[in-house]
Amino acid sequence: MRVVCAMSGGVDSSATASLLLDAGHEVIGMTMRLYDASADEQKGRGGTCCSPAEVDLARRVCAQIGIPHYVVDERERFQRDVIDPFARDYAAGLTPNPCTRCNQHIKFQPLLQRAAAIGAEAMATGHYARNLYGQSLLRGVDPRKDQSYFLFSMGRDALQQVWFPLGTWNKDDVRKYAEAKGLPNWGAPDSQELCFVPGGNHGDVVQRRAREMGLSDAALQPGSVVDTDGNVVGDHDGIHRVTVGQRRGFRTKTPERRYVLKVVPESRQVVVGDVSDTQTARIEVGELQRLELAERGSVQCTVQVRHKSKPAAAEVSWDGHKAVVEFAEPIRSASPGQAAVFYGEDDLVLGGGWITKVEDRANGPLEAQA
Amino acid sequence: MRYPPALVINLDHNATTPLHPSVRDALVEVLQRPGLGNPSSTHGLGRSCREVVEAARRALAGALDAIPLGVTFTSGGTEADNLALLGGSAALQTAGKPHGVATSRTEHPAVVSAAEALAARGTPVVWIPVAADGSISPDSVARVVKEHPEIGLVSVAAANHELGNIHPVAAIAAAVRETREGVLVHTDAVQAFGKVPVRFAEWGVDLLSVSAHKIYGPTGIGALIHHTHLKLGPRSFGGSQERGRRVGTENWMGAHGFGVAASLVDEGLAQIEALAVHRDALAAAVTAAGGRIHGMPMLANTLNFGFDSAPGELMCMNLDLEGIAASTGSACSAGSLEPSKVLLGLGMPPQRAAEAVRVSMGRFTTAADVAAFAGMLPTLVERVRKAHQRASS
Repeated sequence: MRVVCAMSGGVDSSATASLLLDAGHEVIGMTMRLYDASADEQKGRGGTCCSPAEVDLARRVCAQIGIPHYVVDERERFQRDVIDPFARDYAAGLTPNPCTRCNQHIKFQPLLQRAAAIGAEAMATGHYARNLYGQSLLRGVDPRKDQSYFLFSMGRDALQQVWFPLGTWNKDDVRKYAEAKGLPNWGAPDSQELCFVPGGNHGDVVQRRAREMGLSDAALQPGSVVDTDGNVVGDHDGIHRVTVGQRRGFRTKTPERRYVLKVVPESRQVVVGDVSDTQTARIEVGELQRLELAERGSVQCTVQVRHKSKPAAAEVSWDGHKAVVEFAEPIRSASPGQAAVFYGEDDLVLGGGWITKVEDRANGPLEAQA
Repeated sequence: MRYPPALVINLDHNATTPLHPSVRDALVEVLQRPGLGNPSSTHGLGRSCREVVEAARRALAGALDAIPLGVTFTSGGTEADNLALLGGSAALQTAGKPHGVATSRTEHPAVVSAAEALAARGTPVVWIPVAADGSISPDSVARVVKEHPEIGLVSVAAANHELGNIHPVAAIAAAVRETREGVLVHTDAVQAFGKVPVRFAEWGVDLLSVSAHKIYGPTGIGALIHHTHLKLGPRSFGGSQERGRRVGTENWMGAHGFGVAASLVDEGLAQIEALAVHRDALAAAVTAAGGRIHGMPMLANTLNFGFDSAPGELMCMNLDLEGIAASTGSACSAGSLEPSKVLLGLGMPPQRAAEAVRVSMGRFTTAADVAAFAGMLPTLVERVRKAHQRASS
């Protein structure tokens, strides 16, 4: 069968292409070019997924295993659907989730369209998730690598045409396989940061892009850090440099650990509190993808609000594309703009959406500015 | 499926040409020669090898109406173009002369990116206007030089790599001289060499770039042709090879292959008009299928065209999977099939530019190759259009 393998230049997608070849498929590698080399990258700080250097690596892998490889230019779409919303959200005091947005808008449809145009019957990626009969999305079996959290938004249509061969693999075995096959990137470190923010400082990227987009500079100016009673306890260099639930990006006068609870763009205030203040028992979710869910209803399941966070027991009630999640025990670090993914028995992804409101927090409910 | 398919119809000669059998034989012969060393060494081994390099230099100079002392070997066309712009501008600056660069957006990336790199470090760069059909007139170049006293170097290709336009380099050089003495004129003749007569002295240019693998020679070797007295700022540091203009141990094997390929250029030129017949047949097939021709196909081997609503990227993928090599533009754009910068430089809207397909034939292209391509064109366009329409609906 003719299969397109989406290749990022990393070890996972390279091993995926090689596995498909082992299985006797006619494999065609495709890599998206998503952005130009950043200044950091040109300084040799290394690239991440889909950077020009990684695109070149994907081409080398394809040449080595003997399959065609095409690079497709999706820089405009990536800018419009991932980087710009990322900048806009941060400048509005939200916590964006660019990887899930990328999977929703970039990773599947553009490549599926091209796959169809060259007569391919399926597409595969190197994600750690399982696709059951093209119907259901499940966690990958390697708990440390499971990427289902990022994939809930891909939609049913894509699920019917996409394979995840690594869903039943452990990362260690993938590396061993890649090494045995002599793939050049078998030992490359896992990428940990946002691909378009190499070096991990998202604040500069947001600031640059927000200015290019002509967003108001006001929100990007320094401001004060206040506690839950409104007392000024420190300062920060711009609300786009802090992330709700984190302890970075601001300065306080006292040594105790403070977490960002809330960002108020209008007054450029960052509200901080201690660990207990970061808890919430109820969130609201919008843009609901109902993979396994009927039009409306409610269910007892587990809910994850970050890629690496522990799934928490909750009751989810939904109607159309809106849902309310009531946690059995309060959880930490739920932030507007992040994804909330619902899991059922046996690692099944029931659905998920984008957090619009987080309650039981200091200063009342936090609402997304949409 | 293993790649490439067993049978490939090569319609991408502007990316690279296959090695000429005579060049291959000459390379095998020189590699088997005993007693060759490092051409820079003073002993006998070095001297015999040095003679290989110098013979190649003479052959290349002879093919280009240049003198051997004005031939500097480089690693290829890109390095030659880079050396011309960066080295030329640096030397002008050192001499206290105007050192800005004027070139066009339709040049090869080796020139455009070098100009952008100069601009980034504060060197004045002016973009020469290009007509919608890809032509550049001597008058417009002269006007740029006149209106911008900061310009000290002009770079216009002898032939465009994507469109096949031939630019009037001799007339451009004359117009520049007439406007202001002392302005250096560079021409990237990488695509012109082997397809039209390339005459360094007769054209009156100061710098001229060529590359071996576009004239059926090996990859990894090119040359910058220049006046013997012309100073260039150094781009690399170490030894004093190539009279200090391009240091590092000479690629004598490559130079040998380049020299032999250059000596075969006239033979190729004698047959080039046969390709023009193929090109015109292809152009007729494109027009008959409802396509449009881009630029002015003046090189006998090159044709650039597009079909509405049929992205060039999908056309080229499908062609490749059928065993036909074609391109959307320069292979130097990170291997990606992105909208051609050359066509964007002509003011073409991005959607139209993204529909471009370039076919470029070569010495061993047959009428059957061309007929096979022309025959499948309507079906191919139909398939790609359908897939594209499904995707955008």
